[in-house]
Amino acid sequence: MTALVVAENLSRRFGERGWLSRTPPVQAVTEVSLSLDRGEAVALVGESGSGKTTLGRMLLGLLQPSAGRVSFDGIDLAIVGAAQRRQLRRRMQIVFQDPQSSLDPRRTVGAQIADGLEIHNIVPPSDRRARVSELLARVGLSSVHADRYPHQFSGGQRQRIGIARALATEPEFLLADEPVSSLDVSVQAQVLDLLADLRTRLGLALLFISHDLAVVRSLCEHVAVMYLGRVMETGPVTHVFDAPRHPYTQALLSAVPRLDAARRRTRILLPGDPPSPANPPSGCVFRTRCPIAIGACAAAVPALIDGVACIRA
Amino acid sequence: MKRVRRGPLIAIAAIALVALLVPLLPLADPLHMDVVHHLSPPSLQYPLGQDEYGRDVLSRLLWGARTSLAVAAASASLACLFGTALGLAGGFMRGVAELVAVRSMDIVLCFPPLLLALLIVMLLGPGAATLIPVLAVLYTPGFVRVVYAGVLSVRSQDYVEAMRALGAGPSRIMLRTILPNVAGPLLVQFSLAAAAAVVLESGLSFLGLGVVPPAPSWGLMIGAARATMNQAPLLLVWPCAALSLTILAMNALCDALRDAVDPHTQPARLRRHAQPPPPPSRPATGTAVLDVRNLMVEIDTPHGTIQPVRDVSFTVRAGETLAIVGESGSGKTLTGLAIMGLLPPAAFVGQGSAWLQGHNLLRLDDAGFRRVRGGVLSMIFQDPLSSLNPVHRIGTQIAEAMHAHFEVAHFEAKEEVAALLDRVGMPDPERRARAYPHELSGGMRQRAMIAMAIANDPRLLIADEPTTALDVTIQAQVLDLLGDLQREFRMGLVFISHSLPLVAEIADRVLVMYAGEIVEQGDVREVFAAPMHPYTVALLQSAPRDDGTLPVSIPGAVPLPHAMPPGCGFAPRCGLREAACEAQHPPLVELASGRATRCLRWRELA
Repeated sequence: MTALVVAENLSRRFGERGWLSRTPPVQAVTEVSLSLDRGEAVALVGESGSGKTTLGRMLLGLLQPSAGRVSFDGIDLAIVGAAQRRQLRRRMQIVFQDPQSSLDPRRTVGAQIADGLEIHNIVPPSDRRARVSELLARVGLSSVHADRYPHQFSGGQRQRIGIARALATEPEFLLADEPVSSLDVSVQAQVLDLLADLRTRLGLALLFISHDLAVVRSLCEHVAVMYLGRVMETGPVTHVFDAPRHPYTQALLSAVPRLDAARRRTRILLPGDPPSPANPPSGCVFRTRCPIAIGACAAAVPALIDGVACIRA
Repeated sequence: MKRVRRGPLIAIAAIALVALLVPLLPLADPLHMDVVHHLSPPSLQYPLGQDEYGRDVLSRLLWGARTSLAVAAASASLACLFGTALGLAGGFMRGVAELVAVRSMDIVLCFPPLLLALLIVMLLGPGAATLIPVLAVLYTPGFVRVVYAGVLSVRSQDYVEAMRALGAGPSRIMLRTILPNVAGPLLVQFSLAAAAAVVLESGLSFLGLGVVPPAPSWGLMIGAARATMNQAPLLLVWPCAALSLTILAMNALCDALRDAVDPHTQPARLRRHAQPPPPPSRPATGTAVLDVRNLMVEIDTPHGTIQPVRDVSFTVRAGETLAIVGESGSGKTLTGLAIMGLLPPAAFVGQGSAWLQGHNLLRLDDAGFRRVRGGVLSMIFQDPLSSLNPVHRIGTQIAEAMHAHFEVAHFEAKEEVAALLDRVGMPDPERRARAYPHELSGGMRQRAMIAMAIANDPRLLIADEPTTALDVTIQAQVLDLLGDLQREFRMGLVFISHSLPLVAEIADRVLVMYAGEIVEQGDVREVFAAPMHPYTVALLQSAPRDDGTLPVSIPGAVPLPHAMPPGCGFAPRCGLREAACEAQHPPLVELASGRATRCLRWRELA
């Protein structure tokens, strides 16, 4: 059996140079391959501008890739018709980062959770209210919440409502785009708990996008570390976190603050800022900040061999 | 949306009601002429007199209102319908639809409105039926622009993306998701257009290009009364008064709607208590840079006065980093703002003192604060982009911070700025001093903020979540920089954060706040290694783990400030809760070596 979601050599460019626009195009994602099985949780880790959100949108078919191919359950997303695409939407859903902007402020949360049921006609109109209550209960809220508006909820509760909305269509693939990064620590734990529980109970394929390495470890089996639109390192979470091989992964892990002084690594300070994706360096994109870069790094883009894209690993 | 003010709403409803009920009122026929009694003054039968053909002025005035309001409402509705459709399509579908919607309206806007109206009336001939399409064309661009701008800002919101992800078609997204979210400004635009239409209808009728005589209309009445102004000046007063009152009511309604729709115009409650009561004691001398005693912050709300910060006391020594850690609603940010004198207008200091170098910060007036802030006391915030002025160069803003406190010659300031930027690790400092904030990355902006904060050699630096908006590798750079600077300047640092691991790495001492109070304090290593308050324990367990196990969440939520439990604030969520915890509010128990805990059962945790 093939994997549920397969991405092959995906690339995405924004702002193609046209006869009216003078700004250079931005290469957001370059030749990324990824696969995700049913019941598997994969983390996509990277800092701002690494292209992780763009990649996620392409996997959901919300954004067309400039090159490469995404298939969902063997169906190529690029060639399906509009009607079938909308049918596929039912099977893949998204949870957003910002609980403020991810819910429509003018409609009750019940109506928003019912949207998916209505669009795909999953349950008859008479049963929809009961179904919404069931979904609210699944994310730890109660049916009385259905008639309230988003502003009457706290950030953590809104994030649960976003999850309930995504679960309404009974998806097989859930993309969680930084779902906990704007929440308080204690609430973060509640939402992570919920996601882990849903994953095991519903057998969801979960793609977890995060800039926070610490939260990834408890939830995911696999991780892909991205930098400037490319995958730097990928592999099982335990391998990558315990013995990172790419210098970027090493620096990223060492920069994460830790509670336990004994487990703190010597911080590898990366100089400067990430280069602009509109003007990436030649060869390895990380070489301008890499502590171990050599002349050969500028010559060619290192291939992802055995999970690491570094000629010195 | 907030409640709309009642007054204007009632006024407009009354005017509309009168216009609607005119046919049912016992009025004289507005077209019946009585030439013998023309220009008669007011009488019992004709309360407002008779006009130049002896017609009843009151009757014509009320029937005229009907015409004016009908034309205004119809033309504004048409323009609203048409403009909304164009704006929605243009904003949501982009491409050709956008080009058509926006550019066609630009063309309409190119013509002076009165000329355009005159042109169309000339072509179609005067009459109320012509006026409606004419005014509709004139007001459509306004609606298109309002809706188009609204759609552009709404379409980038995540909830629109969520609808796409759910498989909703474009018409569903436009009508059910986007339209309700642009309805507020649309409503305001509608009332504006209707008011303008009443005026323009009268104007065109006055010129003889609107309503055709003998039909009653305010514009026609004004025109006719002008001719007989010398004999019967009152005739001019009635239609003018009716017109002015209607427009005033409509404009008042516009304002009321705008206030109701716009979340930013909420009237600020001003502080009632100008000064907190005098502090109970003089500051503890010694090495403390900052000595805060019994700080209480209050906020007036519609539900009564709440106290989001209660009884907070702490000291910061020179060269020491004190972290205030807590979740949202814990009062950590308000504590920082109170010390800096930057509380939002609704909040005020109820009591307490904060001594910094002989100044009690909580009793300083604005002028006094200006001398202190940016001098001995300075601060950096979470979001450097919104704390830097976007229209001034970085170097100018840093120099300004110096000029506010010292006389510095221009060329010296320039050198000083470059030196400061160099000190905070800004590459190519001379060139970067001439950059605008938007030209810098987030990390560099935060460096610029830090340069500004240390420009006057502060004794105390308050940093409120200074690295939350930054990436981890950049966060590491900024933390290193802050540590270096603190050692170099020997300043006290108050570091406000929600991140326990971050606090564990940077701080010497920590205050843990929960629901407005300090629940535990002490040396950061001791507190994190052996916490003595159940909340600290729970917070540590909910932090992400290194070993790959899921963090343990705290059940329940922080109590709201106006619904504080009578006993311990954490009791409802606490695993160690017993009857005594819910009965009495626990005091902050001072323990050895500067530790303190607000828990009755701390001995069982120790």
